[in-house]
Amino acid sequence: MLEKNTSGRVYGLTLLCPIRNESQDGSSCAEILRCYLQNLDTEDGSPMAKAPNTYFARFYVLNDVFYEGFDCKEEHLKSRYLVFSSNFHGDRDAYVRGMWNSNKEGVKAIWRFCVGFENVTDAEGFADYVKRCQVDNALVFNGSTDDSLAEQLKALYLKQEFSRFAYANQGASPERLQQNFNKFVEQTQPFNLAHPTWPSGHLHPNASIADGS
Amino acid sequence: MTKQLDLHDIQGNVLKTYARQDFTYARYILFAIKTPAMGRQFVRDLLPLVTTAAPWARPGDDGEKMPKPGATTNIAFSYHGLKRIGLPERSLHSFPEEFSMGMRERGEILGDTGRSAPSYWDAVWNSKDHRVDIWLSINGRTKPALEERYAKIRSILANTNGGVIQLCGHRGENGAENLPFQDAGARRDSKGEPTRKEHFGYVDGISNPFFEGTLTDPSYITGAGKPTRKSPESPDGWAPLKTGEFILGHRDEAQELPKAPIPRYLSYNGSYLVYRKLHQNVGSFNRYIEEKGKDLPDGSEEVAAKFAGRWRNGAPITSYSTKKEADRFLAEVAAAKKAVAAAANQVARAAAKLEYAKLASKFVGFNYQNDLAGGRCPISAHMRRANPRGALEFGVKGAFETPGALINRRRILRRGLPYGESDESSNDDGNHGIIFMSIGASIERQFEFVQQQWINYGNDFKTANDKDPLVGSHEMAAGQGTGRMIFPAEPGSNKAPYFCSGIPRFVETRGGGYFFLPSLTALRTISEGIVDPG
Repeated sequence: MLEKNTSGRVYGLTLLCPIRNESQDGSSCAEILRCYLQNLDTEDGSPMAKAPNTYFARFYVLNDVFYEGFDCKEEHLKSRYLVFSSNFHGDRDAYVRGMWNSNKEGVKAIWRFCVGFENVTDAEGFADYVKRCQVDNALVFNGSTDDSLAEQLKALYLKQEFSRFAYANQGASPERLQQNFNKFVEQTQPFNLAHPTWPSGHLHPNASIADGS
Repeated sequence: MTKQLDLHDIQGNVLKTYARQDFTYARYILFAIKTPAMGRQFVRDLLPLVTTAAPWARPGDDGEKMPKPGATTNIAFSYHGLKRIGLPERSLHSFPEEFSMGMRERGEILGDTGRSAPSYWDAVWNSKDHRVDIWLSINGRTKPALEERYAKIRSILANTNGGVIQLCGHRGENGAENLPFQDAGARRDSKGEPTRKEHFGYVDGISNPFFEGTLTDPSYITGAGKPTRKSPESPDGWAPLKTGEFILGHRDEAQELPKAPIPRYLSYNGSYLVYRKLHQNVGSFNRYIEEKGKDLPDGSEEVAAKFAGRWRNGAPITSYSTKKEADRFLAEVAAAKKAVAAAANQVARAAAKLEYAKLASKFVGFNYQNDLAGGRCPISAHMRRANPRGALEFGVKGAFETPGALINRRRILRRGLPYGESDESSNDDGNHGIIFMSIGASIERQFEFVQQQWINYGNDFKTANDKDPLVGSHEMAAGQGTGRMIFPAEPGSNKAPYFCSGIPRFVETRGGGYFFLPSLTALRTISEGIVDPG
């Protein structure tokens, strides 16, 4: 049977957090929040790059439900919602606590207009808040393996570096190849997850391997 | 019931590969319409010259069939041309977006960047005063037949009193920049006989899709239809594609009628034509295969074969993995052909023909089921990319309902001929390349998809960002190409794969457009100005 919200060791989290029906300086809180989200830093500057084990995350403001046309009932939401969805490795509560602990100010800035968030003061409180806002996912699709982010980033890094190595050493004598491979292992440290590796949040790996003729 | 097409209503270039039927000379002419009424008169006067798909009589046929003409003529319209000739707004708006945008505007999708960008195209595509409205092709069995047809068209043009003008600005030999037409034709051997070789030395145009209602002999389905799960060497291994993949108004592989402009008689039996002038950097190609060939047992020929998926003599590398095998195969084919000619009587001739057909089907009757890793034909080879023949299941049994699930809607009819002269001493400059044409029911779903996803990207083949080695839009960095390709080793051979890097752009776009290729009925109604979308 399929477990809700998970696929292997991947967790698919979806939150709907109501935004206060208030305004500040002539703009609604929802609009101020949307503006804030649209101007968030990207790649390694993104607040979600700081949240450990995030594979993929997304924020948006949900204005209302769609009217599906005659003869459906026209319905409306009572408030606008901040929607947060995240695919990550591991357990929900641990992830959410990690998100708080690694970037408390970032979390506060994003959720500051949400109803009930004013009572959140620590990681435990944030985990409780998340539980109350969670919407279950019946099906979770993961586009990658379910290994920890550090494992995956290291694997991508190694794969790219190894391609570079293969292109650069084509035709080398066995002795030379072994020498260079030892050097490669020394430089890339395959068993050291922390370093060197791809930084999280990077969309564009630093150098192209196409130059290795 | 067998699908019957009204062959008298479909333009001949949709179903016929003229170059394979002795029409080895071609001329492409572009026109702009100055006054709509004259544009319509021009088309009306051209109508009797337009070649249809109706079969020609063969020697010994009696009666009804038309004799094979000395020259053919076909015409097609750009979106701008349809507008200029006065097609109603409602009809114009019913054409697909990629067609109304045109090839130039789709450059990012097609990889027409860098040296392939429109600013490098022949001037005829870059005129400030005139856009290309009408595309016209003449294919001739002899040069005089072609010239005679051209003269006839010129006189029809003269009758428009400047209402239609012939556009100049095609590049030609010896630095000519402003020619009034683009000539093309089969390259000839030292005896002046036509060959099927393009400028990189490959025998070209070996395989084309087989679809319901096609004129082709049913035995040609092997390797040309859509793949079934039976042996690729037998006709059972292939089924005809639906007509609607190539001709509008007929059922397609999605089991529906393709989206088509209105009214129905405007699009019925019509199709879309993609015309591209592709320059070939012969010098770069020869230098590259020479250089890398030093590392491989069959030398530069092996690099060329791994690039294309065929040896330059046409033998598929997945079936003939060494040059020696490929040469032996070609010798067998040549001997079988001779045996047909030498047969003493009808019975012997029939037997010899059968033997020849069996051998010839080996050019196309294969797939990659026994070569999944690409040890013989690399996954990234041009032919395997452009027509994966079921290989996108990656050997997973029954991954899809049919092995052609991701392929059957991406097939294209290829037409075209080389242009210009080249020899072994040629460099990248000069005037040599191929006039590439593709015909199909959807430019976006077929030609553009293949170009964007299969030629200029590798994700579907699990080859990351690698592009097609031969025709991919390889970028340059620090004076060197950035293309890469892996020749995988045969599993279990204990050999290392071979890595090609620094591949430069061998093929550059020098012009082109998207055209609507109407049926004869549609041509007539367009020319009379009576298209009524209701």
